[in-house]
Amino acid sequence: MAVITVENLKYRYPHTERLALSGLSFSVEKGEFIGVIGENGAGKSTLAQALIGLVPQFHKGAYGGSVTAAGLQAQTTPVAQMCEKVGLVFQNPFNQLSGAKDTVYEEVAFGMQNLGVERQEMKHRTEETLRRLGIWQYRDRNPFDLSGGQMQRVAIASVLVMQPQILILDEPTSQLDPQGSEEVFRAVGELSRSGITILMIEQKIEKLAAHCDRILLLHQGRQIAFDTPRKIFSMEGLEEKYGVQPPAFTRICRRLDRRLPDHTYPVTRKEAEGLFAERKQKTGSGAAAAEKQERRESHSAQEQEKETAERLPDRANILKQAQNSAAQQPGKTDAQDAQKEAPVFEIQNLCFSYHPQTPVLEGLHLILDRRPTAVIGQNGAGKTTLVKLLKGLLRPVSGQILFYGEDIAGKTVAMLAGEVGYVFQNPDDQIFKYNVLDEVMFGPLNIGMTREKAETEAKKALELVGLSGRETENPYDLELHERKLVAIASVLAMNTQVLILDEPTIAQDCRGRRIIGGIIRRLSQEGRLVLAILHDMDFVAEYFERVIVMAHGQVLADANAAEAFSQKAALAEAALERPYAAQLGERLGLSHTVLTVEELADCLR
Amino acid sequence: MKSISLYVDNGSFLTKVHPFTKLMYIAAAVSVPLLLGRLWAFPCLIAASLCLLAAGGVLKKALPLIAFSFTILITIFLIHGLFNQNNATVLVSLGPLRFYREGLLYALRIGFNIMNMLLSFAVLVLTTRPSDLVEELEKRGFSQRFGYIINSVFQIVPQMTGTMNTITDAQRSRGLETEGSLSTRAKAFLPLISPVVMSSLINTRERAIALEVRGFGSGRKKTWLREREKHRGDSAATIALGILIAVALVFRIAEMIRA
Amino acid sequence: MKLFKTKFDAAVIVLIPACIGINYLGKLFAQLLKLPLWLDSIGTCIGGCLGGPVIGAICGAANNLIYGFTTGDSITLVYALTSLGIGVAAGIMARLGFMQSFPKAILTACVAGLTAVVISTPLNIIFWGGTTGNVWGDAVFAATQAAGMPVALGSLIDEVVVDVPDKLITLIVVFFILKGLPKKLTALYEADAAVERLD
Repeated sequence: MAVITVENLKYRYPHTERLALSGLSFSVEKGEFIGVIGENGAGKSTLAQALIGLVPQFHKGAYGGSVTAAGLQAQTTPVAQMCEKVGLVFQNPFNQLSGAKDTVYEEVAFGMQNLGVERQEMKHRTEETLRRLGIWQYRDRNPFDLSGGQMQRVAIASVLVMQPQILILDEPTSQLDPQGSEEVFRAVGELSRSGITILMIEQKIEKLAAHCDRILLLHQGRQIAFDTPRKIFSMEGLEEKYGVQPPAFTRICRRLDRRLPDHTYPVTRKEAEGLFAERKQKTGSGAAAAEKQERRESHSAQEQEKETAERLPDRANILKQAQNSAAQQPGKTDAQDAQKEAPVFEIQNLCFSYHPQTPVLEGLHLILDRRPTAVIGQNGAGKTTLVKLLKGLLRPVSGQILFYGEDIAGKTVAMLAGEVGYVFQNPDDQIFKYNVLDEVMFGPLNIGMTREKAETEAKKALELVGLSGRETENPYDLELHERKLVAIASVLAMNTQVLILDEPTIAQDCRGRRIIGGIIRRLSQEGRLVLAILHDMDFVAEYFERVIVMAHGQVLADANAAEAFSQKAALAEAALERPYAAQLGERLGLSHTVLTVEELADCLR
Repeated sequence: MKSISLYVDNGSFLTKVHPFTKLMYIAAAVSVPLLLGRLWAFPCLIAASLCLLAAGGVLKKALPLIAFSFTILITIFLIHGLFNQNNATVLVSLGPLRFYREGLLYALRIGFNIMNMLLSFAVLVLTTRPSDLVEELEKRGFSQRFGYIINSVFQIVPQMTGTMNTITDAQRSRGLETEGSLSTRAKAFLPLISPVVMSSLINTRERAIALEVRGFGSGRKKTWLREREKHRGDSAATIALGILIAVALVFRIAEMIRA
Repeated sequence: MKLFKTKFDAAVIVLIPACIGINYLGKLFAQLLKLPLWLDSIGTCIGGCLGGPVIGAICGAANNLIYGFTTGDSITLVYALTSLGIGVAAGIMARLGFMQSFPKAILTACVAGLTAVVISTPLNIIFWGGTTGNVWGDAVFAATQAAGMPVALGSLIDEVVVDVPDKLITLIVVFFILKGLPKKLTALYEADAAVERLD
């Protein structure tokens, strides 16, 4: 029986011309796991909100067609009633907490209080759900003090306690670190198995493909297709026409034209592995290793944690290795490389702490040259602290940072502004002008450029981020992913020797990622250092030469990308996954680490 | 996260007293001296508040509050001591400055009133979790929406101050000067406050959605997680305070009739 | 009457705490940058302009009541009435269209400032014998008293000196902020929005 029926749904936001949704019709069976994909602006979030009645009741605007979810008419049933049957979780973990409760326990019970659930029942459900999502131990903490992943699970719990039949998730992992997203995906997978109907919007396409039964593809508000993941991702021109990149595994098989019996391409690692099975048999040792890996993955989360704990004594070893490999780095004597490897930053015995008892960075040694460098690691690894120290926003407790041989301790933030650019994670932390051009010119003017020069630089920067022709728009009328690009442009325009990016790919679809990748390549060709904090391993593998793996304020690995992603112990310690191509390569028994889809396809040819 | 609430959760008897009893205490402490109209009543109640604060183990926490009001107290004493319209009798002279008895008495009355109000409020503020007060109010039929607004302020302000630090860093990274002459500092105001104001306003959109999907305003009778233990002294104290106010009122009326 | 028509849905409910937070931050920034102003009613005015006079009144009154009752600042508490007045004034002026251009916003600022003066002066006299707690204003007050003017007049001048410039800056800031707000957001507060059918 269909639990969601959408018939010819049309919707337009107030004060806009374009239809945000245009003629959607589909139905979802009870217990199905549906993925929704499409580029930014395709109408995914609008659809999510239409299913619970926020569109049109909350946003008003113009509405046509009908949506029935769990037997309720979404257009007219008050959202406060809809929410008993349909739950909605969205991107930003901060904004979806009620903001009125002091503890996780009370936060989760908030919805039930509003619905008038009896006290005993309320306590029972809260405890059960908190345990189910593995956050029972945080029940007395202030929800705003938790990490993103934990907070997002609180948000899911708060919705689940209301016992909805349908759960809608709108990019719930987009702002989380790899571990946080894994926590969320694991929780959602379990919910799906328990029989709840799930509709999930996600940019992490490999993960989505592995979980869902059917995928709904949207483009500019229109429904393009609604089919199984294999059929959808085997469609021609997905990337060019609809701005959706198929899973890495699909792209590899497409390059090699290896199809499954039904002429579709595989979408998950397992399916791809199956296709290449013959090759696997030839190289026996690789297969054995892969099998071992498989067994490890089937371990429960608890066992994995235990394993990590057991591995801890190895830490000294890993660190030694990291130092060795870092020391080996400048050994290369290629002429171009030598120029590239002239140190920009020299970090000597750097220590930092916010509170004397809890050191964040301890005795860090690092030399940064002009190769594009990615810093990876979980939240709390000390990555942001490190870059803030480089920028002079924080002052070291002890140790030194030399910038082109000069100690930055003697320079103020304002003095460094023209040399080191830093794009913060959240663009809304800096935007304050009423048009895009002024916003981008603010930095250049501050560092003493003339108006003309600032304008030229600003226009150049806007062109680089693909926002030419939007100079006069109000930045706040742009979508989040565009505002992020404005923030990047506003620092690019300052023409600094060093560009630091904090999580530039968050909220970007594949087009945005390509734009940012292009900027990184261009700047490094111009001989500038790009240093980025990233959670997106595939992006790192594609665009960065050097990778620094951090955990607990220490550098666990520091090498070129291929080498860094082959250091399993360090990655495990930092709880990081490897790029998908590398994962598949290993499972297929390749002896070296491949980084990108193209590389892997070449190896398998 | 640093809370803006001054509540100290030290488990003292005052934390267990019902918030309404403490509200009643404030009402009595503020109204009785004003009704009696006698200067000596103020120090009595100030002493009572100080005793309560000491008994609740929060006297130290009340000191910054008093210190905070000191500047205004000093201005009042200076201005009225020196320039009050009714000034006639010189009390002390410090060089060219002559302090008058009338003005100082007037200032003393105002100063006592301020201290009395501050300290009686401190009895409530330092020993009551704001959300407890709101919950008790809601149970007595106080609007759920207002309850939300109050609770939310306590979460939102620390969040916004946190954002403020990030914004300051982000703008300084773009070369903004935040120190220097008055005009430099004034110029920094907009780039600093705009982003936090804008983003907090923009965030309200999502927060509103979050409330909607959690059944806020469903119109059902709300239920509560916690049940408050009844404190034995609560009703007795409330009645006693009520009587005190009534007595003061009667005294005042009697005085007015006599006059 | 349209002037006072008020929506009271979730969007407006969450607007109020945000405005109260903004008041707090304005005050904090003014202290941090050592500006000789309060700037503690930016949020109240935003609330009034977006949600209408009733929401402005609630923002203003709730602001002072909440801080008064929870941070122990009972001095603030007394001025709840003033804040309420400022919110109402800003709300009414905005509904009448006096926030649409810069010169009109200046007029709104004057109205809000005078409202504050009219309400605060009696409060100042009753509670602190005429002072305002602002150094510049109180210096003026001291001068008037030394010159033998009555307390009420001195206090009024004290208030004018302090409140009018403060409200002027406040509403200029508010004007620029409102100008920058995305339509998507302001559409939520339109009191007479309705859903249109597309088929």
